[in-house]
Amino acid sequence: MLNWIMQLQLLLTALSAFLPLAPSQYRERIAEVLEIATKALAAGGAVAANVDDLALKLAAIRAEVEAMAASGRAVTSDELDAAMSRVRTASGAFREALAASGV
Amino acid sequence: MRHPLRAIALACALAATPACASVQVADTRIENPIVAARTLDQRAYAALHAYAAVIEEATDIVRDPAAPVGFKRALGQAERVATPAAETLQIAVAAYVRARADFEAASGETQPTLERAATALTIAARRLNEALAAAEAPIAELEDLVRARRG
Repeated sequence: MLNWIMQLQLLLTALSAFLPLAPSQYRERIAEVLEIATKALAAGGAVAANVDDLALKLAAIRAEVEAMAASGRAVTSDELDAAMSRVRTASGAFREALAASGV
Repeated sequence: MRHPLRAIALACALAATPACASVQVADTRIENPIVAARTLDQRAYAALHAYAAVIEEATDIVRDPAAPVGFKRALGQAERVATPAAETLQIAVAAYVRARADFEAASGETQPTLERAATALTIAARRLNEALAAAEAPIAELEDLVRARRG
């Protein structure tokens, strides 16, 4: 997603460079459109960064599970407790945030 | 040609277009750790950690003042269903791990003891499978909501 947004931003930048070549009566309007598109892409980039954050976490878990599977290692009770502890902590923080937001 | 410079600009823009057209929109690949697991306990472990990661993201959304109240409410409802399913899963996987350890310990015991341990392990495995299946939908619902907001 970030890659996609970055390429669009590059394309917009390239198009902006050709702005002086646009007919003078449309130049201002085109500049406005390009500016709005750039702002929208910047906002999209912030959102995509969060998606990437989740993707990174899931990729880390997958890598750990892949290593376990490759070595044929069984999950220990401590590891399961740690996983559930993470769920409980996350759930507690989520419910707290929900209550704080008035929902 | 009346407007050669405009034609060149258009040509440049068209030349750049394939770079965008070839990009995958869903370029950010969301990993599914559960598919990497080979055993039941690994699947449960992956599911619990993946679910925790999803709730962590959901918490960030709830903390965002710009997020619609209706959406936060939907996240809250999904979490209230998914977390008990995760707790059931944790109980089932803990029982499975215990039953497996008992079975391994019974390998040098008499035949009836070994059979009892094998039966207990089979039951624990079936319950863990059921818990995994039961947790799948509510966890996926919360994950879908998070992705809908983020992506």
